[in-house]
Amino acid sequence: MKDSLVLLGRVPAHPDSRCWFLAWNPAGTLLASCGGDRRVRIWGTEGDSWICKSVLSEGHQRTVRKVAWSPCGNYLASASFDATTCIWKKNQDDFECVTTLEGHENEVKSVAWAPSGNLLATCSRDKSVWVWEVDEEDEYECVSVLNSHTQDVKHVVWHPSQELLASASYDDTVKLYREEEDDWVCCATLEGHESTVWSLAFDPSGQRLASCSDDRTVRIWQQYPPGNEQGVACSGSDPSWKCICTLSGFHSRTIYDVAWCPLTGALATACGDDAIRVFEEDPSSDPQQPTFSLTAHLPQAHSQDVNCVAWNPKERGLLASCSDDGEVAFWKYQRPEGL
Amino acid sequence: MAGSQDMFDAIVMADERFHEEGYQEGYEEGSNLGIIEGRQHGTLHGAKIGSEIGCYQGFAFAWRCLLHSSATERDSKKMKVVESLIGMIQKFPYDDPTYDKLHEDLDRIRGKFKQLCSLLNVQPDFKISAQGSGLSF
Repeated sequence: MKDSLVLLGRVPAHPDSRCWFLAWNPAGTLLASCGGDRRVRIWGTEGDSWICKSVLSEGHQRTVRKVAWSPCGNYLASASFDATTCIWKKNQDDFECVTTLEGHENEVKSVAWAPSGNLLATCSRDKSVWVWEVDEEDEYECVSVLNSHTQDVKHVVWHPSQELLASASYDDTVKLYREEEDDWVCCATLEGHESTVWSLAFDPSGQRLASCSDDRTVRIWQQYPPGNEQGVACSGSDPSWKCICTLSGFHSRTIYDVAWCPLTGALATACGDDAIRVFEEDPSSDPQQPTFSLTAHLPQAHSQDVNCVAWNPKERGLLASCSDDGEVAFWKYQRPEGL
Repeated sequence: MAGSQDMFDAIVMADERFHEEGYQEGYEEGSNLGIIEGRQHGTLHGAKIGSEIGCYQGFAFAWRCLLHSSATERDSKKMKVVESLIGMIQKFPYDDPTYDKLHEDLDRIRGKFKQLCSLLNVQPDFKISAQGSGLSF
């Protein structure tokens, strides 16, 4: 099992600081990293090694907590503790800050682009989730401010094909939102975690959502449309989300991130115990009650907390991770034989 | 003999009787004080919510007047949000403090107000009312 995750390279991405989050561009050629040094760095390959192509240093006054690429790959959004979100436009290797989104009262914790590229979501310690609409002239307009969570909102993520938004919070819940008559409404609350929910990831089909938490578990939620064969009750025309699997006993500390590989379906986690783990669904298990096996476990992947794991969208098994130690590491995951 | 028996009874039972009477009086007094206190608390909180919503309503009415004359597409979008905020404020149940979605609706009004501020590109300077509401933002 040890050989299933092999180190390809390691870069001191944000020296003397924390590296908080990573995002691959849609083409899989560039990796954006952000950190406590208030900077965003763009990484690309040259030969076999990873080099820094650009540094986005002007823009934020405090820690940059998360970054997200637009689906077209021409824009990068960065969410910062300075209460703003910057939109950067890519011109070859250069990035220019074209807009700064203001409105949150304090730390912006996450940002995510909808699959259409026309909508952007941000969330903050001010407990709110904002949805922004982008027009052709790169103008951003707030279309909704959602106050459904009762605590700090940690993460936002869009469904891979629908305009369905999910958020994770310090209030231990996950909430889902959809558009309704010119406004956005909370259409589901997923309860089950016993502590802060740190991150979320949809599977490639969008039928399942994985959530990871301070309670040291990963939960897998499955979407059940109204009138489903399994007889899961739905209210009105909204689908129901039901927890079909809980991965517990694998992690010894808080799980900060979860990533579902869009190509292979492998599920990676970033944990406060410095380890990276990969899980795969057992092919023979019942899809309504699936079981997952630990297929890779790297105990000392980093020297401190692992904050983020990100699968490359084009190259199978290429995984990037980052840590409080300021480093970014690249890994090759190979599914062990006999699975 | 029966009379003296009653007299002794009255003495023996006095402790219990006075205890009960005292309890009754105390209970009534406490209830009255509780009602007064509760009413004051309710008035205070209701007034804060009313004042907060009043601020939003005044803001929305002022902007409805300002946007009314303009007819650009961008302004019509803003107008829609202004109207939506006014609609939410008008629907808010001011005479039913037991309404179970009171805080949910209040949070939606706050969200709509923030959205409007963002669209109008104005800084909401109603911090006084927000802090005064005792509900952390």
